[in-house]
Amino acid sequence: MSAAPERLIRLEGVTKDYPKVSTGGDRLRTLAALLFRRGDLPHFRALEDVSLEVMRGHSFGICGENGAGKSTLLKVIAGVVRPTLGTREVNGRVGALLELGSGFHPEYTGRENIYLSSALMGLTRAEVREKLGSIIEFADIGEHIDEPVKHYSSGMVVRLGFAVATSFAPDILITDEVLAVGDESFQKKCIAWVERYLAQGGTLLFCSHSMFHIQTLCQSALWLHHGRVRMSGPAFDVTREYLAYHQEKSAKEKAAGRAGMAHGIPMVEDGWTEDAAGARTGTFRRGEAMVLRGTVTEPDDRPPVILFGIVRADGTAVFGSHSNERGFLPARVDPRRFGFAVRFDNLALLPGKYTMRIHALDPEGLRMCDTLEREFVVTGETRDYGVVELDHQWLNP
Amino acid sequence: MAHIAVPQAGARQWAWLLASFTRREILNRYAGSVSGLAWSLLHPLAQLAVFAFVFSQIFRVGVPPAFTGVSYAAYVAIAMWPWIMFSEGLTRGMGSVHANAGLIKKVAFPHGLLVYASVLACYVVHLVGFAAVLVALRLFGEPIRFSGIPAALVLLVPYMLLATGIGAILAALHTLLRDVEHVIQVTLTIVFYISPILYPASIIPASMQSLVRYNPLAYFSERLREILLHGAGLVAGDATVAIACVAVFAVGMWFFNRLSPSFEDFL
Repeated sequence: MSAAPERLIRLEGVTKDYPKVSTGGDRLRTLAALLFRRGDLPHFRALEDVSLEVMRGHSFGICGENGAGKSTLLKVIAGVVRPTLGTREVNGRVGALLELGSGFHPEYTGRENIYLSSALMGLTRAEVREKLGSIIEFADIGEHIDEPVKHYSSGMVVRLGFAVATSFAPDILITDEVLAVGDESFQKKCIAWVERYLAQGGTLLFCSHSMFHIQTLCQSALWLHHGRVRMSGPAFDVTREYLAYHQEKSAKEKAAGRAGMAHGIPMVEDGWTEDAAGARTGTFRRGEAMVLRGTVTEPDDRPPVILFGIVRADGTAVFGSHSNERGFLPARVDPRRFGFAVRFDNLALLPGKYTMRIHALDPEGLRMCDTLEREFVVTGETRDYGVVELDHQWLNP
Repeated sequence: MAHIAVPQAGARQWAWLLASFTRREILNRYAGSVSGLAWSLLHPLAQLAVFAFVFSQIFRVGVPPAFTGVSYAAYVAIAMWPWIMFSEGLTRGMGSVHANAGLIKKVAFPHGLLVYASVLACYVVHLVGFAAVLVALRLFGEPIRFSGIPAALVLLVPYMLLATGIGAILAALHTLLRDVEHVIQVTLTIVFYISPILYPASIIPASMQSLVRYNPLAYFSERLREILLHGAGLVAGDATVAIACVAVFAVGMWFFNRLSPSFEDFL
């Protein structure tokens, strides 16, 4: 084992400005400024003072809302974008899966495209020849490999793209939400590849909206907010804060939404989970009782239909049901406000993180109008597999 | 200070990428057409036929006395193919950055390779056409001196560097100012008619001779005719012109590389 981990990526004070060129005059001024390296121009700041370090063998996740600068940051690290200010140091071969298949030419066959995009990644002809067989095998698109890429389905393009990008073992793999590509079996193959890559000491850098992915794959994470680092540190802490921020934000939006009840649609005003004693909580022991409570507004003062759904953190749907399925009518608590509660005795969910989704539907139960999400955690130890515990007994024959 | 290091690849790998780009350019140009590369010969041939007919039959432009025995078509062909290499190389070089916007936004590589590949591809494609035309002219009994071919090839190198240098400047400008494209179409048409390609330099009025003296295209046209029709060798003036072309190339690449980090901002 080497003593100190090797530093592969170091960014310090990275700032990226995109010039704003809306008029012809702007364009000419920008051109002059670029040539003579001076002048202060109208610009949009995509990244501001971002610093980060990634060591070999460590995986790093980037989260943030749309437009927070995640993609720009990845592009800076990949070397596609040069920072306006700051230092970028990258040691080692970078494999960037920024957009799979983006370097492909539609008129060329898959095989020809393998050569071209490998050359783009800096591979020599000899290296490509050596890998060609394994790339084609991994992409697994059969004889389509000798057909022009324009006849490929988008899934096939992505498969070939992934196969090419991962054909040489990069020191750093940069991906932009591409782990969820292709069909189910190919996704598994990709995840298996990434897991093996990580097990062999590979370094992964990726941005994702899935906190689950960041938590399971990364040691450290960074939260970008309007181009600045809002938080950086252990993946679990960062993702927790990020999720908390989102909950707060959607709660605020809900509050604002209540004022605008004139929308004419039912809205979920509030919703929360409680324990058996009626105390609000987001943590339950397995087998405990959980009660979901909430209030819904309905502009015509008719009881709306309520739908709840439980989803595991990785997106697996666990269970959901309509209120009208059981003939339940939410109770009117105030004019145009209705309350409801759902009790789950003996919570059979296996330990893990879950999301409770509460939806308000119109009184006819036809249109889904509003959604509120609440996370909850089921604790406990188990050696069972899957999502829920089914009632069962072991019997002797 | 912004600092960027791309430790990924060495010169050998970029050479292979340049080769791949050039190959792609060549194959790509007629991808989807049945006769493929044949068009790159047929198109200039048709142009030549029209010019030969209009200028020799209607306007009655003759071949200058120094080239007696050479048909007007052969006289024009020798200057026209290099012109096509140049003008097409320049135009495609100019469009190369924009045409590969998708790549530039997603992959880190030296952008200059795109310009090189476009220009190189034009030269390769039309060099083949040029060779075919020279052989054909010889078969029709035109006094083409094959012994002049090495000298002609040498002379085409600075010509290509000139196209690359100008193409690189235009490509960089084009990312920011789309107007460049239209300006250049007009400019090339003007340059074509004021260069002695369809007619000998000698018929240009004395008052406008400076057009010839300071026009590198005029120089190359006249020199290629001397070399391929008279069997003339390289002269000292060629070296001067070559140095000037290398200088244009160097300035062009400096300009291009200066703006190249910002391409991604504008594409």
